[in-house]
Amino acid sequence: MGWRWFHQWGSPRWFYERAGRWQLVCGWLALILLVAGSLWGLGFAPVDYQQGNSYRIIYLHVPVAFLAQAMYAAMALCAVVLFVWKMKLADVAMQSIAVMGFAFTVLSLVSGAVWGKPTWGTYWVWDARLTSMLILAFLYLGAIGLRAAIQDPDQAGKACGILVLVGVVNLPIIKYSVEWWNTLHQPASLKLTEKPAMPASMWVPLLVNILGYYIAAAYLVLGSMRAIVLERERRATWVKELIGRA
Amino acid sequence: MIFEPAQIEISELGCERDDRLLFENLSMTLESGQILRVAGPNGAGKTTLLRTIAGLFEIQEGEIRVNRLPLKECLDQVLYIGHKPQVTRDLTVLDNLKFLTGADEARLKSALGDVGLKGYHDSLVKELSQGQGRRCALARLWCVEAPIWILDEPYTALDVEMVETLDAQITSHVNAGGICLFTTHQPPQQLDYQTLELGHVD
Amino acid sequence: MSIEKRMLARELKLIAARPGDIFKPMWFLMLVISMVPLALAPDSDLLAEIGSAMIWVATLLALLLNTEHLFQSDFSDGVLEQWLFLDRPLAWLVGLKLIAHWLFHVLPLILITPIAGLMLSVSTEVLFALLATLFVATPALTCFSGLGAALTLGSSRSGILGVLVMMPLFVPVVILAAGVLIRATDGSDTLPLMALLGAFSVVAATLVPIAVSAAIRLNIGGSN
Repeated sequence: MGWRWFHQWGSPRWFYERAGRWQLVCGWLALILLVAGSLWGLGFAPVDYQQGNSYRIIYLHVPVAFLAQAMYAAMALCAVVLFVWKMKLADVAMQSIAVMGFAFTVLSLVSGAVWGKPTWGTYWVWDARLTSMLILAFLYLGAIGLRAAIQDPDQAGKACGILVLVGVVNLPIIKYSVEWWNTLHQPASLKLTEKPAMPASMWVPLLVNILGYYIAAAYLVLGSMRAIVLERERRATWVKELIGRA
Repeated sequence: MIFEPAQIEISELGCERDDRLLFENLSMTLESGQILRVAGPNGAGKTTLLRTIAGLFEIQEGEIRVNRLPLKECLDQVLYIGHKPQVTRDLTVLDNLKFLTGADEARLKSALGDVGLKGYHDSLVKELSQGQGRRCALARLWCVEAPIWILDEPYTALDVEMVETLDAQITSHVNAGGICLFTTHQPPQQLDYQTLELGHVD
Repeated sequence: MSIEKRMLARELKLIAARPGDIFKPMWFLMLVISMVPLALAPDSDLLAEIGSAMIWVATLLALLLNTEHLFQSDFSDGVLEQWLFLDRPLAWLVGLKLIAHWLFHVLPLILITPIAGLMLSVSTEVLFALLATLFVATPALTCFSGLGAALTLGSSRSGILGVLVMMPLFVPVVILAAGVLIRATDGSDTLPLMALLGAFSVVAATLVPIAVSAAIRLNIGGSN
């Protein structure tokens, strides 16, 4: 079997046009949810009795951290689709998700550090979650760097696919080992104690924001996928017509 | 030795590299006794075609069957010599061939005699001249029993005498029922071959 | 001669032809170890405390340095593509190459770590634990760095990319080995952790060669 665009999902033009519409829907939905969730969370949710107002960074930090991990899994899923169905679009998705996933990982590290300052008194501690996140950032960087180093896009995609699959198998092992390492070396006092159950007025806006960030991520990934499709298909007639029209 | 009748069936082979169509709808059948020269300008896809038939490149479109079996199951019947050196510079001539062919020493020595490397058995490849290195790689044609030969630019860096020896060996190979595919920019005089011109697809 | 014997014989001859390949990583390891007291202090208590961890990290780096170009020269000579015509699965041949590499290039590295241990005043019990962890863990590390080497074969400007790409995957191994060393220092039972480390190594050594062979096939398919 060769490298062919798969069914209509395989047609770059079909995808480019459809994804434009999906992007519009995602964009507005994400905007509404994020504005609502953030205003609610930052302005109206009650103050935390332990951490005061500084806890409010969870409305950014938690969704972003969720996304950072979910996107690696999504990338691995794309790798499977790439190898099993030889679908080029899966490779395009992998390329977009790698960059976005890295961005979200860095954002979650930075927001974690900003949150750490008032909570732990320092920007960085070798907490299990921070450490796993750091390793995850390196894994994303690997996928980006490997693609950048290989000229042929098909080949770069397949090499990344192998790397991501090996990475996703190792990811849980890394996560558990880091957690275990943390209990081995650090007294429990530095770990965030079990949080008391959040009142609904705190977690509902968080839920809204998580949903908002997921949809925003879809918006970003679709946008970057469309750009990559255009670039890879730059010699196709429909792309030339499109550029001619613009 | 005489080979069983062999056949390579190529149907509707197509290949695209870096957004450039190299060939498409390429269909042909090669039988025992045939020599095929793949010709065409630089970048026409000669090496790509040979490497695809040798099983080194994934087939993008179409199908290749050897003796009615898929190509992947028949790679042991293929002897491929590419235009890379195919030998390790830090090993001796004999050690290189031992690893690649698995033939016994007497046979290897006689093969080396045939390609004019007698007395160089224990020289490191890096001590040889370019032409001698090429002779060392080609010596496999004298000691491996594979019916299908795929030779990418076998004549490069060879002197007139070695070209003749190689032509004679190819002829005796196809007379024994083998098949030979090769590329070259200098059309050989002694061989009775067919030509496939690449580079006419737009 | 069987293909397996031919592979091993070839590796041995290559080592005889390029003995420097074995010594350079050992040389590197000793240099790194010599830098530690210079950068820290010649205080033997302090050195003993961090010594085993330093040796572990230095050995890891030396191993990476050593494995980075595992397939490079065979690939550019066109010898690697001939492996596809040998009558064995590519993953099996890759496995053999990795075993040979571990035996002839990684093992010597492990064997000189006791000297490094003496230089950093590491106690005998910890030294034994260090050796044991290196023995058990390096097969996994060799496989992973072999994968890095294979993935970056086709890229001429990859530099140390293979190392960068694979290092995050070393995390569990490093953590487990460090756990063993800490327990050895306390004098508590190291066996359960060693077993985990061994299991990780065995699984990696079985599965990673398959990924390596896929990466090699990919790079052969992309080169002319």
